[in-house]
Amino acid sequence: MEVKDVSYYRRIGFLCGLEIHQRLATAEKLFCSCTATLQQGELPAAEVRRRQRAVAGELGAVDRAASFEQEKEQQFIYRVSDGHACLVDIDEEPPHSLNAEAMAAALSISCGMHADIPDELEPMRKLVVDGSNPSAFQRTTKVGMDGYLNVNGTRVAITSVFLEEESAGIERRAEDGVVYDTGRIGIPLVEIDTDPHLGSPEKAKETALAIGTLLRLTGKAQRGIGTIRQDVNVSIMGGARVEIKGLQDLDSLDKFVENEVLRQQNLVKIKEELSGRKNASVGGAVDITHLFTSTGVKIISNAISSGGIVLGIALGGFGGILGREINPERRLGTEISDYAKMGGVNGIIHSDEDPRKYGFRPGEMEAAAKALGAGEGDAFILIAGRRDSAYTAASFASERAKAAIGLGVVPETRAAVNNNMHTTKFMRPLAGRSRMYPETDATPIEVSGSMLAEARASAPDLDAAMAGLMSELKSRALADQMIMSPRLQLYRELAGEAGSDKAFIANTLLQKFTEMRRAGCNVDAIPAGRLSGLFKAHSEGRITKNAVEEILKSLSERDADIEDIIKARGLSRVTGSGLRKIVLEELEAAGGGGNRGAIINRIMSKHRLNVDGDELNRILSEEGRHGKEA
Amino acid sequence: MYGAETSKRLDEAGIGPGDRIRVAKKGKVYEGVLMPRPEIGNGNILIIKQDDGYNIGVNADGAGIEKLRGKAEGMVFPKAQMRQGSSLPKVRLVYTGGTIGAKIDYKTGGVYMLTKPEELLYEVPELSDIAEISVSQTSSIASEDMSSDEWAAIANEVSRSINNGARGVIVTLGTDSMHYASAALSFMLRDLNAPVVLTGAQRSPDRGSSDAFQNLICSAHLAAKSDMAEVGICMHDSSSDGRCAFLRGTKARKMHTSRRDAFRPINAKPIAFVDADGTMAYVSSYKKADWKGKVTPLTGFERKVAFVKAFPNSDPDIIDYYAGRGYRGIVIEGMGLGHTPASTVKKELSWIPHVRSATDSGIVIGITSQCIYGRVNPNVYRNLRLLHNAGAIHCEDMLPETAYVKLGWLLGNYKPEEARAMLSRNLAGEISRRTTYNEFLI
Repeated sequence: MEVKDVSYYRRIGFLCGLEIHQRLATAEKLFCSCTATLQQGELPAAEVRRRQRAVAGELGAVDRAASFEQEKEQQFIYRVSDGHACLVDIDEEPPHSLNAEAMAAALSISCGMHADIPDELEPMRKLVVDGSNPSAFQRTTKVGMDGYLNVNGTRVAITSVFLEEESAGIERRAEDGVVYDTGRIGIPLVEIDTDPHLGSPEKAKETALAIGTLLRLTGKAQRGIGTIRQDVNVSIMGGARVEIKGLQDLDSLDKFVENEVLRQQNLVKIKEELSGRKNASVGGAVDITHLFTSTGVKIISNAISSGGIVLGIALGGFGGILGREINPERRLGTEISDYAKMGGVNGIIHSDEDPRKYGFRPGEMEAAAKALGAGEGDAFILIAGRRDSAYTAASFASERAKAAIGLGVVPETRAAVNNNMHTTKFMRPLAGRSRMYPETDATPIEVSGSMLAEARASAPDLDAAMAGLMSELKSRALADQMIMSPRLQLYRELAGEAGSDKAFIANTLLQKFTEMRRAGCNVDAIPAGRLSGLFKAHSEGRITKNAVEEILKSLSERDADIEDIIKARGLSRVTGSGLRKIVLEELEAAGGGGNRGAIINRIMSKHRLNVDGDELNRILSEEGRHGKEA
Repeated sequence: MYGAETSKRLDEAGIGPGDRIRVAKKGKVYEGVLMPRPEIGNGNILIIKQDDGYNIGVNADGAGIEKLRGKAEGMVFPKAQMRQGSSLPKVRLVYTGGTIGAKIDYKTGGVYMLTKPEELLYEVPELSDIAEISVSQTSSIASEDMSSDEWAAIANEVSRSINNGARGVIVTLGTDSMHYASAALSFMLRDLNAPVVLTGAQRSPDRGSSDAFQNLICSAHLAAKSDMAEVGICMHDSSSDGRCAFLRGTKARKMHTSRRDAFRPINAKPIAFVDADGTMAYVSSYKKADWKGKVTPLTGFERKVAFVKAFPNSDPDIIDYYAGRGYRGIVIEGMGLGHTPASTVKKELSWIPHVRSATDSGIVIGITSQCIYGRVNPNVYRNLRLLHNAGAIHCEDMLPETAYVKLGWLLGNYKPEEARAMLSRNLAGEISRRTTYNEFLI
């Protein structure tokens, strides 16, 4: 087997670039005064239903991705809560002026990426008609270009830095439309794009980690699930650019990229094979409902009994190819099925599948093949559903089948399927350039000398941050771990308190948290404010390190006041004369002498949570000396 | 709009908006299509559309600018294709300007009005399944720039269209003064015998979320299928898409600066609701269309009618000012039931003697309320009676804006004493004798 190293990826014409999206921790949203911090639990005050359509962009053309969404004829349902969304967010009021705090953070990040900042920032509208923006566009502004970042000794080119608004999150897909939560809309987001020469899947992962680290160094990055998103663009020679969205776990980014390479290689092979078969072709959709009036196949009989139809499409020369695996547990048939689903059907049935799997009666598939004119070496697909959905689905499916002959790999936006197989599925066609036009409701912003100076002064600097951590933590390993940690910002807040034990805090956030999480404790749910109170109690000498862990366990189960937990659980530290009294009692019980280790064990087994080991050692030494002298 | 110096440099290099250029500055090179500049900000900053579609601004000071080969890019619209000679009802669309006809403006960076109203039809292909629509244009202006001249032009065009066989008429216009226009057309179109539907947009149609599409579709349904001989406004009934309300032209008001459902019926219910799929529900009585006889436009309008608001500390000299300028009518937006200050203690603030003197000189003065909702009353309080006795006419439950338009129209077409008598008499649904419980805040 070939070794998949950098030279292998060069040979196959591998191109890979990243788009990192990070929510900014500003007080307000980008174009209105709603809070930029998401809080759960507020009930929606209203529900607004809208439709969107693809309109001509700045240069007159309608974007491919936009018109595709419109063909789906979706209704969008926006749930609006008064605390998190205002009229600006639901496209009922023009935007207010651009949030200066967010802009300063974005410019500072641009400087950290050594990017060139334009003399004037031009807010744009990016056409998006999948409903994720009630306005049907996303406001986005280029704030940096042509930068770079050093990643483990190599220079990675940063092509652009953007400041944009977050879109709405899908709550669920309902019968009558897609339901969106509007709380997220308009939260400031920076997008950082690398150039497509990351060299290997491994390098892509390292780069994503490095960019994440730099963003956290600004102190302006939001924390928590969904606050950072990585999209990856992948292509190979003979393939096409594919954008993968929705990667939840950075650790598996490389595996998704490897699978995309494999998928493209297999699709190129299929294309070559089909071009070798002279009759490769895609037929028109034919209504063959009459062949299945007494079928035992549930999905077909259900469709027919509720007034729907069955369409068949002959795929000339596709025999054996639909069932070919192109990614783990995904076949060409799966790809075509994903397209069909966009038309509102549940999927397709194809002739490379085992008909017994569905419960076809003998002769049914043969009759279908005959009606569609599919012979030896051909294949066909069946689509069942409501009449309009079935025809829309059929047109999407045949478009995809034709692409298998003509294109091989289709330029697409694909969604990561988070089922540990590291595969992806079709979302929508890749958006083209005509998606952009100027945001005429917002004015251009000239970048002044003072804005630039402020951005440069506050730019995140990896080397400086590393040196700072080294001097604080006195351990290279701990500093290395901390700089890459998503909890760096939290560490800085906690370690910023006067008299804090920085190494202890770092160790707790890194090792202890990992240990406890593995043991099933939900430590990530503990609010930062509680942690700050907890470490303060420790640095003031009111609780021991062991008690800190005990309180963390308690907090991960139920939030409560630190002082209340200390009192209720009897966790106050026993120190000074109190501890000396315990030591003296133990020494006396041991007859004034005895093994020092055994005494420590006895005391700690009784008072582990209340006694500090170092202090105990010191007092024991002192009392031992006194004893001897007496 | 580039600054003088930069414009000169661009001209000398033969560069115009749409050209592909290369700008070199401080060792950096920027390539892309030169965009026009809005009339704000630093005129020396070139706006360049880069190949990724983003615009950036590059200050031309100290920069080398070079024109690159390649064709200039411009806006291309596929030609609107409307089916002609079909069996569908014939509907006239009269285009006047406004947000509904707004397009991204290359020249100012803002929005501009369509010069070819057919482009509106291109954006909404569904219209050709509803009606056979022909388009005409009377102006291309924002509604805040509209005057009674434009209303007259619309009234003439609408009458001509109906008299020439249009089953119904859609008028697209800007929303800011739409309720003034709808009132004006309600009075101007005498013997109306077909539906006249005014519509517009709160979001311009260059965005996929625009309300223009549904507003046009619902308006087309009304013009093509309803049997109303009414002038009304057809806009979103709620913030959601799905349904429009058709509001009587004299009983509608823009009640929000930006929401889709800004137009509300005041002291009335909508006449009808219409869904995007054409389903109609009538909820108020209306005049039936018979498509017989001729519509007569009566378009005279007296511009010397003032619209003033009475408020605490207001200076009643404003009445004398208008009287001195030859004004023939004044509509006062009073407080509550129609009050103006009438104090006998602070005499300098009382409007009563000023109103008296104005009416004595033949000026028609109408009283409405800034409460917007409800009916004015000349009797409840002493001060109201004083105003009434001073010769002012209380305009019942008429909207202040409608009263303003009505008085201008009356004075433009009738003698002063006739106008005076007709002001408080219902002519076009502007005054209702009963106000029902459910007509508030809907």
